[in-house]
Amino acid sequence: METLELADIQGYIVRGYKHMMYSRYALLTVTDATAAKKFIRECAARITNVERHEKSNCLNIAFTAAGLRALGMKEKNMQHFTREFREGMTTPHRQRLLGDLDSSATEKWTWRGPSNEEVHVLLMVFGADKERALGYYRQLRPEPGSWGLKEIYQLDGQTLDKNKEHFGFRDGISQPIIKGSGRAGPANDFVNAGEFVMGYKNEYNVYPDTPLLAEEQGNTTLLPDDASGTGKKDLGRNGTYMVMRQMQQDVKGYWTFLNDQTKNADGSVNPEESIRLASKMMGRWPSGAPVVKYPDKDPGGLSDDDDFGYSDRDKEGMKCPFGSHLRRTNPRDSFEDNGPAESLKLSKRHRIIRRARLYGDPYEGSPLHCEPEGEVGLLFTCFNADISRQYEFIQYTWANYPKFKQLYNDPDPIIGVREKPAPGIEQNFTLPGTPVNKYITGLQRFVTVKGGAYFFFPSLTAINYLTTI
Amino acid sequence: MTLVTPVIHGSHDRLDAYLKSIRQDLEKGLQEPFETLGNIHYARWILLEPEEADTKAGTHIGARLVFSSDFDGSEDDHLMGLVSGCPDLIDNMYSCCKEYPAPGARTAESRKEYLRRWRVKMAASFVGAPGRALPEVRQESELRNYIWNFIHKGNWTNLSAVDIHTKIKAEISARPEFQWAKTPVPLPRIKWLGMALLGIILLVLSPLILIWILLIHFLYERSDKPLGLTPSQIDEAHVRKLEEYEDLENQNQFTQVLIMKPAKMRVITLQGLMLFAKSLIKNLFVSGKLMGIPTIHFARWVMIDDNKRMLFFSNFDGSWQQYLGDFIDKSGWGLTGIWSNTVNFPRTRFLFTGGAYDEEHFLAWSRYYQAPTAIWYCAYPHLSIKNVMNNSYIRNELMQELSEKKAQQFLQRF
Repeated sequence: METLELADIQGYIVRGYKHMMYSRYALLTVTDATAAKKFIRECAARITNVERHEKSNCLNIAFTAAGLRALGMKEKNMQHFTREFREGMTTPHRQRLLGDLDSSATEKWTWRGPSNEEVHVLLMVFGADKERALGYYRQLRPEPGSWGLKEIYQLDGQTLDKNKEHFGFRDGISQPIIKGSGRAGPANDFVNAGEFVMGYKNEYNVYPDTPLLAEEQGNTTLLPDDASGTGKKDLGRNGTYMVMRQMQQDVKGYWTFLNDQTKNADGSVNPEESIRLASKMMGRWPSGAPVVKYPDKDPGGLSDDDDFGYSDRDKEGMKCPFGSHLRRTNPRDSFEDNGPAESLKLSKRHRIIRRARLYGDPYEGSPLHCEPEGEVGLLFTCFNADISRQYEFIQYTWANYPKFKQLYNDPDPIIGVREKPAPGIEQNFTLPGTPVNKYITGLQRFVTVKGGAYFFFPSLTAINYLTTI
Repeated sequence: MTLVTPVIHGSHDRLDAYLKSIRQDLEKGLQEPFETLGNIHYARWILLEPEEADTKAGTHIGARLVFSSDFDGSEDDHLMGLVSGCPDLIDNMYSCCKEYPAPGARTAESRKEYLRRWRVKMAASFVGAPGRALPEVRQESELRNYIWNFIHKGNWTNLSAVDIHTKIKAEISARPEFQWAKTPVPLPRIKWLGMALLGIILLVLSPLILIWILLIHFLYERSDKPLGLTPSQIDEAHVRKLEEYEDLENQNQFTQVLIMKPAKMRVITLQGLMLFAKSLIKNLFVSGKLMGIPTIHFARWVMIDDNKRMLFFSNFDGSWQQYLGDFIDKSGWGLTGIWSNTVNFPRTRFLFTGGAYDEEHFLAWSRYYQAPTAIWYCAYPHLSIKNVMNNSYIRNELMQELSEKKAQQFLQRF
């Protein structure tokens, strides 16, 4: 096993900052590169790394491709960042892959869409509570005139006590564990570091594509050599790529749809059945308990159970449907028709580390309680070294693509449904059963993407280096 | 069928513009006549650019128009269908090519003869659902949809799987449009005898094969020059052009133009492997999977230019990333054995190892040698190969007498 340089890795990759109940993501644009670099240099000393356990505040930083250019990164060096990162999330092809169409179309985004101001830097400020998060942010931010950066948007997020998202489900339970990070968990969750951090070997046992320095610029003595032995300086080592998506959740629409599908003969809402169907679609109960282990009802309490597979308990999908969000976005030991060991090996090539936070009214939805105040949603972020093979693959091949496994017309019921499908295209959810399967037809989309971007999430070394270019 | 036709020097831009207009106008330009013909599963045209060919092979051949199709019936009927179904399209395209009949001399027969001239034999091919003709694929899809609806709308409480199967059978038997479904179709099965024979042949030849692989290794592999690029360094404009025509439907196309390594041994190795692939495809890969990859409808290898180049075409379900990933995950060795005989492939060891397993370099290499498809037609973009296979199984199991367990499995197909 490779040893990770934990002190050089930004903390959010490895730790979820669960005790940081409030966060502010400040979207910044560079107005004066020299002043901005000075500010970033000052921040660098305060960046939370994996080893530094802070009680009241955490700080991390990320850059878009436009941001690196604005700081002065030479074009030749930009060319060594992956194409997904350089092009961003809004190319026509990527919109098709990610399903950012109709109400989620990029031109309707509130940030980082084609009609919005360019995002360069993302400052991620966390606090144990709102006061401490915002206080820390104020303290960091110099006078507007000397900052070199301009705030164009801010996204405030929070974590709810029970770690539930707005639809009412406990979230963020299943996480891959980076080998060598010192974290504990189920054996099947351990994944090679190179899937999440550049400069280490991935699940193919090769080094992931990493931004190597093609042309001298800045203080290159700061940078490590490329691990794969090209002799070049590696800007990527101990860094990774971060995906961010602001996803608005239509809590009322969601529960109204489910209530409708499961209503009693007299037309009244049947909360128990409604939750049951919602859980079958999710793959976990609101408590977090996996449906495959508890197929009939929620055992209650709160669960962080991630120690399970499907191949021994539920080959046919009778307990946890193949089309459920959980089963398709991480098939575990039941990948296509492969055996358990092969499945696990393949599943590990498409994992992401998720870090979701809520925004808007801190509201826990349920069948009879589904009208939050104002706009609510999820600030979804995830880490991966290969955006195409990890995040985009999961979103397209496993979530949006309706032919998953042997299915015909079943997109992911939570994140894969098209708002306006092409004429004649059905969107269903299949509940395998005996003697016949049950089908929920006419799925609707309850998630709207409001903004999103790909970021470079550099090592502490690289952050320092960036201030010298 | 594969046609490789030289383009008249100076007509390249006109042809390119015409291909683009057809692509933009696919509904009118291609869809209609092809749909009417009713026997073409897939078709595509590619404009093989001269610059690329020249720089990569060091030879001087002009631009060429490549046509590739997967169809039912005889080649003759297929050609006749093309020229009679869309004569304008053929005229507009091929009048940019060398020696096309003059306007006055254009008849269905002369057009057909012209196209026939440029046919190129394929080295090997794979069909995901062998023997399934297009009308059957479509009929069986309708059958499946009808039964799905019937199940969805019905009330099945207190009925056994056998009861339900019987009711479905009665329903279909009574429908005039499904009379064809009463007759099952023979579906290919794995031919174990052929596999045993192949095993014996390989066993007998194994010392020779071993020596051959060692020779390849010590004579060539160690001095081979891999492309050495990672995905981030592949020309952005090139990839963007490829992506423009990807993921518009649930299916995609993939075309590669590869340059063979110059050594004669490499050509012989490839020919040997093509023979091996052909017998595996004939005997083993007969039900929707090519070397374990469950997403390929049709694939084909073609050698051109005196074995100096190889063309690879495939039609598959899902995205490029998934397809190439499947290649590495499921059949990296086979793919390495075949493709490593072409230049710039990632470094291999003993023909079958290394190569594709060097994921980053392999993906970059794949994109580098991928050629943009100019026009692509797909007859059933909404069916995956798994759907096509499953629909045939439904048809065949429908009219059988099934045990409770088998009837239950039948119902799970929906």
